[in-house]
Amino acid sequence: MAEVRLENVVKMYGKKMAIRGVSFTCREGEFFSILGPTGAGKTTILKMIAGIENVTSGTIYFDDRVIHHLPPQERNVSMAFETYNLYPHMTVYDNIAFPLRAPRWRLKLTPAEEKRRVEEIASFLGIEKLFDRLPQNLSGGQKQRVSLARALVRRAEVYLLDEPIAHLDAKLKFSTQTLLKEFAQQYGSTVIYVTHDFREALALSDQMVVLRRGVVEQEGTPEEVYYSPRTDFVGRLVGDPPMNLIDGEVIFQGEEVTFRKGEDFVFRLRGELAGKAKEVIQERNGKPMVCLGIRPEHIRLGEERSSENSFALPIYAVIHESESSVVTFRLRDNTFLYVRTVGFCKYGKAERVWLDFNPDWIFFYRKTVEVAKEGSSER
Amino acid sequence: MELIERGEGEMNGVGNVFFWIITFFVLFVIVAPLAWIYLTAFKAPNDIFATEAKKLIFFQPTTENFHRLFREFPFWDNFLNTVIISVSSTVVVLVIASLAAYSFARWNTGKGHLLFNTISTRMFPGVVAAIPFFVMYRNLGLLDTRFGLTLLHIYFNVSFATFLLYGFFKEIPEELEQAAMIDGYSRADIFRRVVLPLVRPGIAVTAVFCLVWSWNEFLFSFLFTRMAARPVTVLISSFWGSIEVQYGPMAAGAAIAILPTLLVSWFMQRYIIRGLTFGAVKG
Repeated sequence: MAEVRLENVVKMYGKKMAIRGVSFTCREGEFFSILGPTGAGKTTILKMIAGIENVTSGTIYFDDRVIHHLPPQERNVSMAFETYNLYPHMTVYDNIAFPLRAPRWRLKLTPAEEKRRVEEIASFLGIEKLFDRLPQNLSGGQKQRVSLARALVRRAEVYLLDEPIAHLDAKLKFSTQTLLKEFAQQYGSTVIYVTHDFREALALSDQMVVLRRGVVEQEGTPEEVYYSPRTDFVGRLVGDPPMNLIDGEVIFQGEEVTFRKGEDFVFRLRGELAGKAKEVIQERNGKPMVCLGIRPEHIRLGEERSSENSFALPIYAVIHESESSVVTFRLRDNTFLYVRTVGFCKYGKAERVWLDFNPDWIFFYRKTVEVAKEGSSER
Repeated sequence: MELIERGEGEMNGVGNVFFWIITFFVLFVIVAPLAWIYLTAFKAPNDIFATEAKKLIFFQPTTENFHRLFREFPFWDNFLNTVIISVSSTVVVLVIASLAAYSFARWNTGKGHLLFNTISTRMFPGVVAAIPFFVMYRNLGLLDTRFGLTLLHIYFNVSFATFLLYGFFKEIPEELEQAAMIDGYSRADIFRRVVLPLVRPGIAVTAVFCLVWSWNEFLFSFLFTRMAARPVTVLISSFWGSIEVQYGPMAAGAAIAILPTLLVSWFMQRYIIRGLTFGAVKG
């Protein structure tokens, strides 16, 4: 097991900068996730740690050893690829046993020991019945589990998992997550896990980074990332429905500071909030603008005005989920506002209700993402 | 429903007729010369030159031509030359070409120029190369040696084999090799345990092509050998003398000489078809 540290790592593909100075530390025995949308550079980072992509500049350490100049064989990592990369001419058993047979690790297992190791990991992942099959005769989900088994069968210093459960169906996804967590704890393994699904990252990680176009947007525990997103991008990426982002003007009148979005959304900023907003003010079209963010569960619905942070709006749509409901409102400029209610929502469409914003959970950001309006698509 | 079925049936009828006409034509073009060789090989001299049509097929078979071939001519010595030259050149070609093709396919060695240069040795007529080679061989004492002819066959087949294998190696995803590197294998081990098994159909196809080419090669064998290293193709051509054409021993020699290539092609048929369509449909 090892600690993995990246210091100011840059990766260029020709003139295109894919990774723009990424630094983070994954401590020994930690389950560490890299979360980001498609094209953020997650897989590139993983491949640089594995040694199959060169580092353009910067340093990668395992504990205190600089390793980014070493070939993959010298790094003692193991990796599950998103594209599986199973050896097509070998059976499932041989595929899983392949890393155990590499002369490099000097394991010299007897056939019986090898069989025990392969069977252990295969039964862990529920693929022990597929041993004699060739990869071409497996379904996507089966291939993915075989590839995961091949990555986990050997005791490596670092396990690199690239979207290892993305192609499993919902039930298997859940059970495999549990297994992965169990595996990591049982062996105290250092795991670096790449995903585009915030749920997986929040569920599994001890520590995580959110990546955007080759830059780390936030590093922290899942709790920190979820409850105090550092940028509007993180708020938007993590959470479903995503964090509400309202782009508006800050108006100073003597001591009083207000946030205003059109005619229907005026909000007085008291105490700390005014300070927070001032920090991130941007001049746009000659106006001081900020982006207000609040998670859907931090807005409460009521029939009456309960505080001065309340607004009345007609309901646009209600979606009932198993243990909660998502209520959508539409502001006058066509931005949507999402509210998550605990339990079954009793209000109906077009009903006018009061939205009470909890000031403790309001954040202000410099605007860096364009929030989709009606009729456009995000990203 | 009925209408459509009948329509299809009619189409099949017309299609069938064409199919069989073309099949018979192709079969005739391929089989007729072979049949002629095998029939002639077993004919007595009188039957070979008989003008009656029925004598073409109905005659008293004899092995006289084979006896003459083995008694009066160094057939088996020449046959052995052919075997040694074609097999050894094919083996060497496969070793060189597979490594070269892998290097071209994986690392783009020479940025395409080297690959083009290699292939271009096949683009000029062989005769053009014959003169400088001949002078060189005379000075080096390589004329009329198996080693010399093997070298020439290697030279000509390496380019073709490299070109053919390049396509097969190109089909293997690089990520597969990266996975094997992470699994702890060295480049050489990966080549042996991952890459080679995957290009096996390609190597089989290439081997057959090289073997058959070298087996049938005539021009250079004719120019560069006299007696000691003479392959069977040159021997057979020598029956076409200035005074008479000895059809009997010629047909007998050809009948034996084409057997191995026929058999190899037959057994490798499955591989060849799979090899040539390799990559056309991704599995």
